[in-house]
Amino acid sequence: MTPFFFGNSAEPLYGVYHPPTSARKTEGVLLCPPFGQEYMRSHRAFRQLAYLLNKLGYPVLRFDYKGTGDSFGNPDDTSIENWIDNIVSASEELIASSNVESISLIGLRLGGLLATYACTRLDNAKTLVLWDSVVSGNCYISELKDQIAASSEHDSNFVDESGNLHFNGFPILKKHIEALEHLDLLSLTPNAKRVIQITSSENTFQTELKEHWNSLPNATYQCVPAPGDWNYVDDFGGILLPQQVIQAIVECFSQAEGDK
Amino acid sequence: MKELALQIGKPTPLTAIVSVPETIDPNKPAVLILNSGIMHHIGTCRLSVKIARRLAASGVLCIRFDLSGIGDSPPRTGSSSFHESAIQEITEVMNYLENKRGIQRFIVYGLCSGADAAYDIALEDNRVIAIAQIDPYCYRTLGWYVRHYGPKIFKLSNWLSSFKARFLSSTSRQKFSESVDAENLIMPSYIREFPPKQEIEAGIKKLIERQVSILNLFTNGQSYILNHASQFKKTFPNISFGDRLTVDYQERMDHIITHPEMQAYAVDLVCDWVLSRAT
Repeated sequence: MTPFFFGNSAEPLYGVYHPPTSARKTEGVLLCPPFGQEYMRSHRAFRQLAYLLNKLGYPVLRFDYKGTGDSFGNPDDTSIENWIDNIVSASEELIASSNVESISLIGLRLGGLLATYACTRLDNAKTLVLWDSVVSGNCYISELKDQIAASSEHDSNFVDESGNLHFNGFPILKKHIEALEHLDLLSLTPNAKRVIQITSSENTFQTELKEHWNSLPNATYQCVPAPGDWNYVDDFGGILLPQQVIQAIVECFSQAEGDK
Repeated sequence: MKELALQIGKPTPLTAIVSVPETIDPNKPAVLILNSGIMHHIGTCRLSVKIARRLAASGVLCIRFDLSGIGDSPPRTGSSSFHESAIQEITEVMNYLENKRGIQRFIVYGLCSGADAAYDIALEDNRVIAIAQIDPYCYRTLGWYVRHYGPKIFKLSNWLSSFKARFLSSTSRQKFSESVDAENLIMPSYIREFPPKQEIEAGIKKLIERQVSILNLFTNGQSYILNHASQFKKTFPNISFGDRLTVDYQERMDHIITHPEMQAYAVDLVCDWVLSRAT
């Protein structure tokens, strides 16, 4: 794996490029992370996913959104639109650096919602995988607020006087909350040749999305029972490595190869 | 301030991000920021990024990196224990900065396992002039028991819960367990081990005699073993710390420092302390 900065030199984004370890495919895979403690918790899973996709011959890029991880800036400097732009930039970077013809995106939680919007701006999106994806900005914020309400012992989870939400050590600013309110997968037709919705547990929102996309010829749904408590945080900042889902995603890409 | 992504060491490099100040003064110490447990190099709640950027903006070069097998660094082959490989890899990073930038003095920062590794490397390498630790090794004293049990002694429910607390403290150990190729596919385990108090006492005495400065910030996450700031000095009454030791205890601060005010407090404390030593 090769770490590097890319994009606008004044506001560089951090990425890690994973080159393929078997015969190179003409398709690259971009991993779109979730936000906050979910990002911390999923870092290892993304690395492992990249490793397994490399073994199938896919070049893979992981990256951090502006104001997160190692990328430039702070939450104050960013917008949700920036993050969608970042996915588009990272896709272009992957295509340019690995000389692939098409791109697939895998988005986890908030990364799934953002990746679906970014796909509408990409001409060559082959597969879009939504892993435990947030279905809408409103659902996401409601979920976090419910957890804040339930976590009375933790005074680090709260909504401040300005309307900024603080959850498990990361802020979601009011401007981000307002922008997220406009994002909803139920109002969007995903722009990819193949759309795969994978969830580690059935819930109302995932079922609603599944039924909404049921009529799309290119959309499939899988429920792969596995740990999916992305928002849980323990005393040591433990990670989550749901092997079952990772294997299911890799299998999707393995099958795609077999279909050729 | 600018940041560069680096790969240090061969054949399996360590991934590092260097926060470079506008002017590099090789006479100033550089700051090494270590992993906390299995969290990658941005640190808990992005604290390592905030500290590195603040210090670099103040003229101090900082490097945050992943030990092999953690975060963005691939696993390395070999049979070294985590303790041995951590010392070897931190040394590699210091050698790199010495060779490339001419820097010969270092301040090492770490939380939890990072604090332990900071202590370990300071003992091993004379180039380390100061260590900033969050939740480092510590041991109970009479004062801890008085504060812990004093207010609760008449409550039956607290007698019952104390059994649980004792069980947790004796099993809360840290250890990395990884096989090499399979490491890419397994969940790293994480058990923290506190060495015997006498061993740590001898180590700290050695550091103080070598005039290494120490900042110890304790959080409530380690209150099962330290619950007031003055406890640390009292744990080691035979060591003459002089002005080499700074200890802080924050009851509102959890181990991974999730509260925004506590994050700001920790960044201020660590950066101000480092800058006072980075001359």
